[in-house]
Amino acid sequence: MKFYADLHIHSKYSRATSKDLDLEHLYLWAQYKGIQVVGTGDFVHPVWLKELEEKLEPAGEGLFSLKDKYAKPIDAKIPHACRGLVRFMLTVEISNIYKRLDKVRKVHNLIWAPSFEAARKIQAKLGSIGNINSDGRPILGLDSRDLLEITLEADPKNMFVPAHIWTPWFSALGSMGGFDRMEDCFADLTPHVFAVETGLSSDPLMNWRLKQLDPYILVSNSDAHSPSKLGREANIFDTELSYSAIYRALSDENDKGLVGTLEFFPEEGKYHYDGHRLCHVRWHPKQTMENNGLCSRCGKPVTVGVMARVEALADRIEGTKGRRHRPYWNIIPLPEIIGEAKSVGPASKAVQAMYLNMLNHIGSEFYILQDAPVFEIRAVAGDVIAEGISRMRKGDVKIAAGYDGEFGTLEIFKDGERQKIEKQLALF
Amino acid sequence: MKPLDLNDAQWQAVSHQGSHLMIVAGPGTGKTHTITYRIVRFINELNVGAGLRPALNDVRVGLEPTPTDQRILAITFTNKAAKELQERLEAKLPEFWRLATVGTFHRFALGLLREFSDATPLPKDFQIALPEEISALLEEIFPKKTTLERKETLERISLIKATQLVIDPDSDYQTYHRFLRAKNWIDFDDILRETLLLLENEEILAKVQERYRYIFVDEYQDVNLIQNTLLKTLVSEGVLLTVIGDPNQSIYGFRGSQVKFFTRFEEDFPGAAKLYLTENYRSKSNLLSASSQVIAKSPSTDVPEIIAKIFDEGRLVIHEAATDRAEAEYVVHQIEQMVGGVSMLSLDSHRVSSYNQAQRSFGDIAILYRLNAQKNVVMGALDHLGIPYSVSAKSKIKKEELEGVTQETKDEILLQQHEEFVDYNVEKVSLLTMHAAKGLEFPVVFMIGCEEKLLPLNLDTMKGDSEEERRLFYVGMTRAKEQLFLTRAGRRQLYGQTFFNAPSMFLSDIQEDLKAYENSKIRKKINKSKASDNQQLKLF
Repeated sequence: MKFYADLHIHSKYSRATSKDLDLEHLYLWAQYKGIQVVGTGDFVHPVWLKELEEKLEPAGEGLFSLKDKYAKPIDAKIPHACRGLVRFMLTVEISNIYKRLDKVRKVHNLIWAPSFEAARKIQAKLGSIGNINSDGRPILGLDSRDLLEITLEADPKNMFVPAHIWTPWFSALGSMGGFDRMEDCFADLTPHVFAVETGLSSDPLMNWRLKQLDPYILVSNSDAHSPSKLGREANIFDTELSYSAIYRALSDENDKGLVGTLEFFPEEGKYHYDGHRLCHVRWHPKQTMENNGLCSRCGKPVTVGVMARVEALADRIEGTKGRRHRPYWNIIPLPEIIGEAKSVGPASKAVQAMYLNMLNHIGSEFYILQDAPVFEIRAVAGDVIAEGISRMRKGDVKIAAGYDGEFGTLEIFKDGERQKIEKQLALF
Repeated sequence: MKPLDLNDAQWQAVSHQGSHLMIVAGPGTGKTHTITYRIVRFINELNVGAGLRPALNDVRVGLEPTPTDQRILAITFTNKAAKELQERLEAKLPEFWRLATVGTFHRFALGLLREFSDATPLPKDFQIALPEEISALLEEIFPKKTTLERKETLERISLIKATQLVIDPDSDYQTYHRFLRAKNWIDFDDILRETLLLLENEEILAKVQERYRYIFVDEYQDVNLIQNTLLKTLVSEGVLLTVIGDPNQSIYGFRGSQVKFFTRFEEDFPGAAKLYLTENYRSKSNLLSASSQVIAKSPSTDVPEIIAKIFDEGRLVIHEAATDRAEAEYVVHQIEQMVGGVSMLSLDSHRVSSYNQAQRSFGDIAILYRLNAQKNVVMGALDHLGIPYSVSAKSKIKKEELEGVTQETKDEILLQQHEEFVDYNVEKVSLLTMHAAKGLEFPVVFMIGCEEKLLPLNLDTMKGDSEEERRLFYVGMTRAKEQLFLTRAGRRQLYGQTFFNAPSMFLSDIQEDLKAYENSKIRKKINKSKASDNQQLKLF
């Protein structure tokens, strides 16, 4: 079957996450979004793991579902058009901060586990060497390579995926805390990594420019810190709904189980361009080069974003495809499109009301963004929103790129354009 | 020929011949390095005597070690130091390093007791009592005493055992001793005392003396009377003794160590030579100046001034916080900045500016304190950011752990029981008492609680010798290679009491122009209000 999977999220036990991030809200929002497999996040955290063990039950091989008694009360809140099955997969992100080859490295890594037994083994090991109680995404002074070893020793079916590999501060290839080559990060165990996460600020097109990424299949996840951010990016599978099918789809070069990915427009990501947020300096990598990398306001080195970093490590021209390439589709979260159409913020009441209205009458967010006929959207949400979605599908949007931790800003409509669209269409 | 990695004074110490030798070696002057080379030299000489080629820098496989029973005895202060020395010897002499017996006084002594058990008055299967067994025993003997009183009694008995050859009549001691032996037990201090008794046997003494022709003792400033006596017994005609140490780092007086054994070395071991290592390769020059100024006020010493060999300047920061919590917050915030942020939140909230390149990792950093009771506040602040740390602590041995293990393994475990142990498998910030920090070094050191009443220790219930406290302060300062933070709190909670402490007197011994005063620049505490929570969420 075809299903969407978002395998990098956090629970309420991670620092700076929403208090709503519990299983019930994940179950609810997964259906709003149209996601069938959602990560649990944070399974190393003792309190969260206990909660997972209590509220989840096995559902198919290596995946879990929310027990009926917890799911039932939520079901009533879910629009009929969105209802679908939700499976959980045991996932966690670890922050590795350590010295390697004389530099301080800060790398975030994802671990996915097929069973509570495997998860508990990892938890026990990490608990014995560090503090896993104060953050759902624990910080460990442990080499990424050693974390990979621990992961494989706990269960050979565990999956290990370097997270948002281009983020400057916390990633395997990041400009500030990362390495130039995957082999430098994972050493002798590099062949055991078969997938990498592109992160919000890069898309597959950018990643394909590196020969060294050829062995890896590219995955995309939301890294959500609140339930509504689920599915900002996601993976589309067409295979059996099980952990081992997902494992095969990612690890086996001949398996076609991963159909493609849904991507943020990379310009919208927080670290696409270079610059200094506090100095309001937002630079294309070319400008950074012209200024020798120093901020024109404060004179200190600018934060080098993902675009420049990819350029620095790339060894192919843009347009080439990587060996394990899959198609991808750029999406914009529906509330942003609604907000843009209505010229209000995406968190405003008007947007929320329209959002639920669309879910009620059309279907889940992914269905709306990807598959719903434009006339159907127009009938429910009006001309401007329908036009916005249609432009998104064509990639016809303008984005002022994100930089130094600031999200990019989206422009689907020019001033005055909205009224024009409504008038034009009214003529028919 | 002088190896390139030895300076002139070190080489002199390595190659000195013909008499006992005392090496006075200040902090960071390459003590272990020098002693390693000297032991290597002696092992080679043993091999030459046995007709083998010198093995220095010469890896040969397949040769049997020297057939004689002669060995080198190297005594370290801790098991950890023994391990380090052993590893260095092994690296230099992969074949012959085993010719050196390396270990603490207690390990060496227990080895003799087991080897010659027939000759001791102890029963053959005597056991070293576990801490929990001793507690239970004391409860049985002194049912009327409180737990605290029993602890004090035990400490007093231990001090007596370390400092008196002939024990003054003391009813507590005698009762304890009788009960202990009735159980077939000896305690930790007894290991050395029983060995002294064993060596009264001339035949055995001769055997031991014949075996160990070269003896080394590290950290000689911290030996006690019993250890000193043991050495005098072992060192006979023809046995050469080398001791190394620094009287300025003598910090175990409360346990019976006496620096006087250091100063009267030449009387105890006539004909001894004395050499000085004074070139410091550890600390930045300004940090070394500051620590030298602190120790210069100590009247006890004939140690020449330590000379900096690293010429650039490090950071010496004085920080005064309003409370112990604010002090901990400051320390943790500094750490967060040094590692360039520990999470996206560090950066996005501007707690750490985005152009701070990460310079340090957690393993580079140590936080030192006078009393264990000070650490909880710091641990709380570290937990808040999820920063990994390890706390030095004496391992608590449980009876169950020792069930079914061999006598040898059991002894091995028990020998380590008095050591504060830190786990270094992964990188963590080290939280250490100043005592436990001895012998270690870190690029960045925070010394918290630089306040009167703590440094020097002067509480109602606990008082330190003020000169020893100064040396302790000196030991703490000299752990730092590049950055040293001396922090204090205006108000502090300790043992349920509130203290308003003035700055430590030691701070004023450091010249003003060496000190940078820094005030806390932390923004409003994160996660405090709902409003700021929402603010944070928007960033993701």
